[in-house]
Amino acid sequence: MTKVFSLAAALLGTVSMAQAEALTIYSPQGEDNVAWIEAQAEAAGHDVDFLRAGGGELFSRLEAEKNNPQADVVLGLNDIAMARLKAQGMFQAHVPTWADGLPASYSDADGVVHKFWQTPIVIAYNPDRIAADAAPSGWLDLTKDAYAQNYVLGPTKWGTTQVILAGILVQFADENGTVSDDGWDFMADLYGNSVLVSSGDEKIAALSSGEAAIDLNWFGGAFREAGKSGYDPVLVNPENGTPIVAEGIAVMAGTDQADAAKAFVDWFGSVEVMAAYATEFGQMPSHPDAIAAAPAEVQAKAQLVSAQAIDWDLVAANLDGWLQKIELEIK
Amino acid sequence: MRGTFRLEQMAFLTALGLLAWFLVTFLIMPLITTFYTAFFDSGSLRIGEITEDLSRSRRVKQALLNTAWMTIATTFTVGLVGIFQVAALEYFHVRGRSFLKVAFAVPLVFGSVVAATGYKFTYGPSGIVTQILQGIVPDLPSDWFIGGHGVLYSQTFLLTSFYYLFLRAAMRRVDYSTVEAARSMGASEIHILRRVVLPVIMPTLFAVMLLTIYTSTVSFAVPEIIGGRDFTMISQIILVLNALNRPDMAAFLALFLGFFILSIIVLMQWIEARGSYIGGAKTPVPIELKRIKNPAANVAFHGVTYLLAFIYVLPVALVVAFSFAPAASIGTEVFPSSFTLSNYIRVLSGGAAFEPFFNSMRMGLLAVLLGLSATLFAVPIMVKHKNWMTRALDIGFFLPWVVPSVLLAIGLILTFDTPNLMVGRAVLLGSFIILPIGYAINALPLMVRFLRAAFMGIDPSYDEAARSMGAGGLYRFRRVTMPLVAPTALLAGGYTFNEMLTEYPLSAFLYNVNNRPLSIAILDSDKSTDPEQAAITLVYAVLVMAFSLVVVLSAERLSLGKGPKTNNV
Repeated sequence: MTKVFSLAAALLGTVSMAQAEALTIYSPQGEDNVAWIEAQAEAAGHDVDFLRAGGGELFSRLEAEKNNPQADVVLGLNDIAMARLKAQGMFQAHVPTWADGLPASYSDADGVVHKFWQTPIVIAYNPDRIAADAAPSGWLDLTKDAYAQNYVLGPTKWGTTQVILAGILVQFADENGTVSDDGWDFMADLYGNSVLVSSGDEKIAALSSGEAAIDLNWFGGAFREAGKSGYDPVLVNPENGTPIVAEGIAVMAGTDQADAAKAFVDWFGSVEVMAAYATEFGQMPSHPDAIAAAPAEVQAKAQLVSAQAIDWDLVAANLDGWLQKIELEIK
Repeated sequence: MRGTFRLEQMAFLTALGLLAWFLVTFLIMPLITTFYTAFFDSGSLRIGEITEDLSRSRRVKQALLNTAWMTIATTFTVGLVGIFQVAALEYFHVRGRSFLKVAFAVPLVFGSVVAATGYKFTYGPSGIVTQILQGIVPDLPSDWFIGGHGVLYSQTFLLTSFYYLFLRAAMRRVDYSTVEAARSMGASEIHILRRVVLPVIMPTLFAVMLLTIYTSTVSFAVPEIIGGRDFTMISQIILVLNALNRPDMAAFLALFLGFFILSIIVLMQWIEARGSYIGGAKTPVPIELKRIKNPAANVAFHGVTYLLAFIYVLPVALVVAFSFAPAASIGTEVFPSSFTLSNYIRVLSGGAAFEPFFNSMRMGLLAVLLGLSATLFAVPIMVKHKNWMTRALDIGFFLPWVVPSVLLAIGLILTFDTPNLMVGRAVLLGSFIILPIGYAINALPLMVRFLRAAFMGIDPSYDEAARSMGAGGLYRFRRVTMPLVAPTALLAGGYTFNEMLTEYPLSAFLYNVNNRPLSIAILDSDKSTDPEQAAITLVYAVLVMAFSLVVVLSAERLSLGKGPKTNNV
């Protein structure tokens, strides 16, 4: 055994030493966003190293590494994922300096997870291809023939896809999270009607080629993808409301760099950084002060959709089973 | 004198203990854990629940069905192509035989993830063949190749290496004097093939067919890359189940796969044992290649042979050519109009593009070192002594061959996702080391097979001479035995390293942030539509092929793989 490990140590020495210096941050943010955060963080004196992956994939990874955590900070997973990780005791408490004035729905009574952005999950369409009166009026419209093979759905390992599916399924679920047969029939139609993609590139390819004209995406992503595909998206304001998720940040319980990690969290959620981020990427901060400091257009965008009431606890408790059924029986 | 003897004995026992620990911890325990997870839940049998869940799943059923028909179809098409190749190389007279030999040997260096991306690069949505075909049939959808038929097509030409290696060798054992004798007695050519040639090669033919079944059943990278949305095979569904937090279902399916493979191997052993009865001549008269007399038939035979050779060479030629092309020409040109080294510089200059390559090299090397230190120690003992302990070792080393990689991966995950006493309460999942350990376990059967032949081939009088001059055991091993087996050990290491460079099944389950290997990088960039990424993948592919070529040519030089011991893999 010692033989194995000394051999391993000899081969690995250089790498693990290099990694000990920088904070490892797991984040599902886009490539450009991460590049920006990295640059700003370095400028502010934080040595950070990002691991980027889909939200669902990161979540599974964190769960798998539960007993041997590799990350120091988790940044940007949605309500469901953060709640489930917190329940497994994977985070340590840290009340950031910016928690003051944060609305209750975004902060944490236990002082563990704090949400810095709010993101509506939207239906966004390409107005060059769909007229306003022909656009879907809500999520439940998507299974209509008019939208067959005309909207893009991502893999279930994406956090956004999980929220979309959860937002639909809660409308068919009872208080125990049991989804009615109608709900599953709808899900089958939703999948049958969709252009299913497995990567962001594939999605952009489908949207820019005109193969699909409707993007189901998080708010900022819908604008980003539309920009890359060459159109100005129009958002639908569904009658049943739009799921709004908030993205959280927390310090891992197992980190050996707790001080550096906490300092990074304090810096990242600060009003200045959030406002700068909102300016750069058009994203809505959750802190009222940061919203006030954000550009007018971001504030205006916040008025575009109304929120759907979702019981995230119900979702968190049932998501695994729902996703299994979708992956194994429906997809 | 007595002191050194004591010390040596102590060292020997320690090494034996280490070896036993290694095999028990990383092979036996994972298998037991998998078994337990699949059938029990906190002590009670719960097999009904899992089978019910599995049978309700449309996708699982579909994957099983897909794997079944793909395996049957592949065995048939590979057999057809493989036998045709052997006929063209060893039975009929065909012009340009040395070129054909090289062309048909392509799958030896072009396999796994690399080959699958190569085929997708050629026939896929932005592939050259697709571009040409769309010029003729404008309505052809760009993803025409993606799906089960694409997987079948690719596997048909990628899995013929068994035929190339083993059936050709068997063909050379056919005694031409028996063919001539039959001919002189007026037997028709068909009759000769059926009654004289076929009986000699029959056992080998069965063995290679079973090898094809084996390979196609556990096929993973090819359907992952070419299967697309609607074609999933069983290995892929096990990965999905694992990601969906259903280790029980994943374990159950992996075990199912394992039992199927086991039965194939038992069948193969049985055929191998029976095959030895059909002896043939010790020194067969070599076959005289037969000219096809009918000119039309001759032209047709040549045509088909060269078409086949073209199919083999095309993806490799395109991959190599475009790896030297500017990224912008990928997917836009049928053949690159200008060449550059910039892709290679980008990969080899040590940036992000080099990392997966470096990771795979480090892990491959580690696996080789681990595997060789275990087998170089154990094989001489196994050759010299025959008792229950060496028999147990023998089975232990043989086991990874029977256990599909996917099953081993699931076992390693289930065993090491919590603190494990056998490794000092460490959690290995998420660590760098777990993947190279898996690679090493995977490589053991091949290493044992190679080294056993090498150790058995050593003339015992060398050892006796050294012993009579008073040389100690360790000294004899170091100065007498080692130099004799070193080339074989090096070659076994080279084979392993080469295979682990693009290993996919274990990697897909066990990789993490610190060790993202080449195969995963290739697969990820295959999903990307960025031409820069495609260019990097091509460079990876060429580098891997170049290394494989070195290994295969060295093997040829050492004339390994020709002895009877290595004849059936």
